[in-house]
Amino acid sequence: MKKRTLSLVMAASMLTMCAVPVSAEEAKDPSELIVGELHYSVAEDGGFAQALHTGVVQACENLGIDTSTNLLTMEEISEEDPALIESAVEELVDSGADIIFGCSTGYAGLLAELQEEFPEVVFAQYNNDVYENIVEFQIRGYEGMFQAGYLCALMNEGSNELGFEASMDDASVRTAINSFALGAKYANPDATVQVVWADSWYDLDIEANNAKTLIDSGIKYMGMEASSPAVPQTCEENGAFCVGYNVDMEASAPGAVMTSFVWNWTPIFQDILQQTADGTIDISADYYEGGECSSLAEFNSELVPEDIQEKVLEVRDQIASGEIVVYAGELKDDKGNVLVAEGETMADEDILAQDFFVENVKGGK
Amino acid sequence: MGLFISILSGAIVYAVSVMYAGIGETFSERAGIMNLGVEGIMLMGAVAGYITAVNTRDLALSFLVVLLTGAVFGLIFAFLTVTLQADQTVCGMAMLTFGTGLSGFLGKDVAGVAANLKFQAFSIPLLGDIPVIGPIFFRQNLLVYAMYVIVPLSLFYIYKTKYGLYLRALGENPAALDSAGMNVFGLRYAYVIFGCTMIAVSGACVTLANTNFWSPGMTAGKGWIAFALVAFSSWNPLKLTFGALLFGFISCLGSNLQIYLPSVPTEIYSAMPYIATIIAFILATGNFRKAHTAQPAALCKPYDRESR
Repeated sequence: MKKRTLSLVMAASMLTMCAVPVSAEEAKDPSELIVGELHYSVAEDGGFAQALHTGVVQACENLGIDTSTNLLTMEEISEEDPALIESAVEELVDSGADIIFGCSTGYAGLLAELQEEFPEVVFAQYNNDVYENIVEFQIRGYEGMFQAGYLCALMNEGSNELGFEASMDDASVRTAINSFALGAKYANPDATVQVVWADSWYDLDIEANNAKTLIDSGIKYMGMEASSPAVPQTCEENGAFCVGYNVDMEASAPGAVMTSFVWNWTPIFQDILQQTADGTIDISADYYEGGECSSLAEFNSELVPEDIQEKVLEVRDQIASGEIVVYAGELKDDKGNVLVAEGETMADEDILAQDFFVENVKGGK
Repeated sequence: MGLFISILSGAIVYAVSVMYAGIGETFSERAGIMNLGVEGIMLMGAVAGYITAVNTRDLALSFLVVLLTGAVFGLIFAFLTVTLQADQTVCGMAMLTFGTGLSGFLGKDVAGVAANLKFQAFSIPLLGDIPVIGPIFFRQNLLVYAMYVIVPLSLFYIYKTKYGLYLRALGENPAALDSAGMNVFGLRYAYVIFGCTMIAVSGACVTLANTNFWSPGMTAGKGWIAFALVAFSSWNPLKLTFGALLFGFISCLGSNLQIYLPSVPTEIYSAMPYIATIIAFILATGNFRKAHTAQPAALCKPYDRESR
């Protein structure tokens, strides 16, 4: 304990001695930026964290930032451990970080507090628009999931039943399920989506079991909101097909993954980094992007025929142009209540905080 | 019937992945050495096998590396607990954290990398075609089939052979065995190494059979389930089999019931394995059970010739 206190004191004194206050307005070449990132797991987790990490790395590379020297990655920083988060941030600031990316929702509150302590550093956080002193970023995941549902329903010829393996009951997961179901319905008005819950963010056995259960009940095509390749691999073993999630999962199960829903953070991060370098960043900014950020990975041409690929791409373009609005009326929930009236569209806050399941979802909570 | 087959075949896959560790731990504890590091050694086996699979694309070699990894960990653990006579609980926890941390570190390069190399399920000719029984028992992977042989073999070994008698004595009264001229230290070394090797195979079930990827900490508590099953089964491989199947059955039942009994909140299904565990433990270890316990009398007690 003494040692720890001592090192903290030393770190603090070094901080006061060395830290030359750099105003956020001072412009510098982007390649000189020192970038920090905080992850709750290892960065290469094959899932959500990896998607964010890839985004940071690609954005850095696009701006000429040397990731071997100027990208500082802090892994396994638990969201439940404020002391650990704080010391990780202090370490990054000590190392000269100009910007710190918080890559999990749980950091938001603490980073907003730490921003006041280190105003010269830009904090960017994965979150909905809540805080005024940190940059927040989020992707309109529903656009990509809509395309995933649309693809599955098109492939699922001769049947109306699709499956979905879901993790925990959370607004973001409900969004994934609902968007998938709406996409399926857009392709086939009679399509239904049977959800099976893992009730865990990460449990390989249950994920694999759930996929097997769906397959055994006669379902051949499914979507997923789960972090491991357990579902794709179970599909492959049992002759079913799915759309991967978080990162391109084709390599893990080439015989089953038609494409994957991927979070493409690069454009957002590149913009944040560029503005940080220019000194023009507005720290209250909120990014909520769709389009290329919320997309499907390349199609697996062995599994998805060309004409279906084209149809999905067409829908992608129609979403981007506003021709298709995913959450538009008339929209009913699974109990028959009208969520959005004919001719109206759902507000972003409601899309982000979904507490309903759309009509054609079976097995919602 | 489809539902029944689906649940039971899933239960077997689940059960086997904890049974290797469970049987390994049974042998170790029967020899008087309790190994709390099951989870860590499982992870080491899992990652070692997967790294080899990615780099060599040779399944047999990967499996051999799994066995060796288990053996090395067994050797370290045996050295600590048998030779140095260190506290088994503390050493077990050390193996746990060491294995968990080291596996995460070593696996960094293969996390998210696809090996596409695993023990594939295959149908045994004729047997696989039997209605109901076939799809449940005989369309599995090699590690599952091996378990069909390992359970009766270990039962036979423990209860019907001379060496099994020595093993039981080793955990009950090592001094008696020593007086009879047996090498207590050597035997304990052998069983601890064997136990750890089996535990590592449980890890291989996770990365090279049931699923085929690596992610840090992916055994997600299976090692602890295996550890608990050993006591629950009174150190008997047959009872262990039933315990593992019961746990697997209930886990699989949950996902099926979500579809076929949708009115019940899914959290109830998710809680079932744990509720079942508590009930099983009460039944297995409660006071109303017969007075003596099957726990090896010398379990956790280092053997010291001087204090005979």
